[in-house]
Amino acid sequence: VTFGRRAPRNGDGRHIDPSIGLLEGEGSQQDVPPDVAASEGSAPFAVWEGVPSERPRPADPTYYERPVLKEPVWIWAVPAYFYVGSAAGAAAVLGMVARATGGRDLAGLVRRCRWIAATGDAIGTGLLIYDLGRPERFFNMLRVFRRTSPLSVGSWILAASTPLTATSALLSGENGLKGAMADIAGAGAGLLGMPMAGYTSVLLSNTAVPVWQEARRSLPPLFVASAMSSAASLLDLMHLNGREERIVHRFGLVGKVGALAAMTAVEGDVHRVEKVGGALREGLAGGLWRAAKGLTAASLGLSLVPGAGRIKRQSSAILGTGGAILMRFAVFHAGKASARDPRATFHLQRTGA
Amino acid sequence: VTIEGLVGGAKPTDEASRRVGFFTDTTVCIGCKACEVACKEWNQLPDDGLFFTGMSYDNTVALGASTWRHVSFIERPVPLPGQEAGGFSWLLMSDVCKHCSTAGCLEACPTGAIVRTEFDSVYVQPDICNGCGYCIVGCPFGVIDRREDDGRAWKCTMCYDRLRGDMEPACAKACPTDSIVYGDLDELKERAAARVHELHGRGLTDAYLYGADEATQPGTGGVNAFFLLVDRPEVYNLPPEPVAPSRLAGQAWRSMAASVVAMAAVALGAVVSASKARRS
Repeated sequence: VTFGRRAPRNGDGRHIDPSIGLLEGEGSQQDVPPDVAASEGSAPFAVWEGVPSERPRPADPTYYERPVLKEPVWIWAVPAYFYVGSAAGAAAVLGMVARATGGRDLAGLVRRCRWIAATGDAIGTGLLIYDLGRPERFFNMLRVFRRTSPLSVGSWILAASTPLTATSALLSGENGLKGAMADIAGAGAGLLGMPMAGYTSVLLSNTAVPVWQEARRSLPPLFVASAMSSAASLLDLMHLNGREERIVHRFGLVGKVGALAAMTAVEGDVHRVEKVGGALREGLAGGLWRAAKGLTAASLGLSLVPGAGRIKRQSSAILGTGGAILMRFAVFHAGKASARDPRATFHLQRTGA
Repeated sequence: VTIEGLVGGAKPTDEASRRVGFFTDTTVCIGCKACEVACKEWNQLPDDGLFFTGMSYDNTVALGASTWRHVSFIERPVPLPGQEAGGFSWLLMSDVCKHCSTAGCLEACPTGAIVRTEFDSVYVQPDICNGCGYCIVGCPFGVIDRREDDGRAWKCTMCYDRLRGDMEPACAKACPTDSIVYGDLDELKERAAARVHELHGRGLTDAYLYGADEATQPGTGGVNAFFLLVDRPEVYNLPPEPVAPSRLAGQAWRSMAASVVAMAAVALGAVVSASKARRS
């Protein structure tokens, strides 16, 4: 490893005299704004009140109530990607199945599935790059393949899926060689759509964050069922023929029922340890979780009302979309809250992970 | 593209490689923070802001992107075993990256920026890291962090540059009481076991080693920077049973596989049943 030699800067928090110091240390590459030293006087959290040793020692001590884990640094773009990426995956799967087993009358559904998949992959890639600390280095994601890292596995799936979904969408409706290419790309996209719809649940549960780790068995069915509901809701906002409507209705119905059942299963998993479950019950995450449940249930109820009105279909679709999006944000914020709570980690490990 | 974990391993098998680490004996730490200062100075790390926390003498708070050694100050309302005067005792501990045998950060890193060095330490290559943040949730100790203004993840390098020059890490060099000892892991473990034995003999029966081997810390396979503690790990802000997340990932992958196969089956069922409904 070679380190660049450059003139030290003043006021970067290093307190090195530029006339006698060279920046060659392993931490010297940390880019720091020149006004970093301005953060004096106030801690970024409430100052500890009272004499530490005068407090009675609790049965489950912590270190001044400070977190033991680091809070996830991800921003809104990550849960937003969870939604669009999984909706794209489920749409690609439905498109592949409809193309392979349906007739000519499903051409419209196949085309719309392919466009949802292509748009979702493209937007999802953008969101993931936007979230990086160094977006210009996004291509380093394809430097290695690491099977122990669901993020590495997922990056490769997304990188393979994006050109396939784009090809299948752009060439959709063409005849001859172009049509065959679209079908082959669509089949590949459909196969990759299966992990696309669910790998983000593994990405979350493969962490040290207690609430995500505890949901490792129930989070995948939740994300996959929600992906089905998401894709069906998007299709329900579009024009479909009678048979296509029935297909999307059934696909979405199973998705919504599955999502509600899986949400109950997630609650059962994380509430095994009270401090772990608290992250999903209280605060911002708790509110988002209950709202997601309510919207999904309302969407399910509305889609079970007899009749085939366009307004009914689209209202149910909007509710379903809202439920799916809020669910991702609820899980995301629950993880942040869980990482902030040292007792979530301590209690979970004391009761056996 | 390197396919890690499929062909070969991430660990160098070079004959010149050594397994080195830190043994931090908290019973002789005096809380001078020379390790914190030596680390900052040698590595030329910026400060994290200078502020007052009220947490005893600890205004460093935690390990972070620019803080690679952190001394904890624990004021206990209970005496140590064998302590004769007063109902109060100090616990002081210099915390550091554990350089785990099964390292959550390394296993999570999708770019290959985090590598296992010839010294068996875990090292982040700053010219590779793209700041995805996945290592941060992968670390069961809450060590590695991203510096927001820099955009990349940083942590203790075990003074990789000094090790390459046959010098001990700056923190161990600066420690005036040898609370921080650097050396070959096998020797460190012998020394640590002897120290625990000695303390037990002197009545400090609470003394034990944290993270020294796979038997006592199976979740990480043992760590290369281990500690001698005299109270529960939680008191020092250490997880009692840390687990590298990948050890539990199989359950999630299997659950996902079953779920997506079910999704494809439902898609098939929806398409086929809708066509039947049309014919009838």
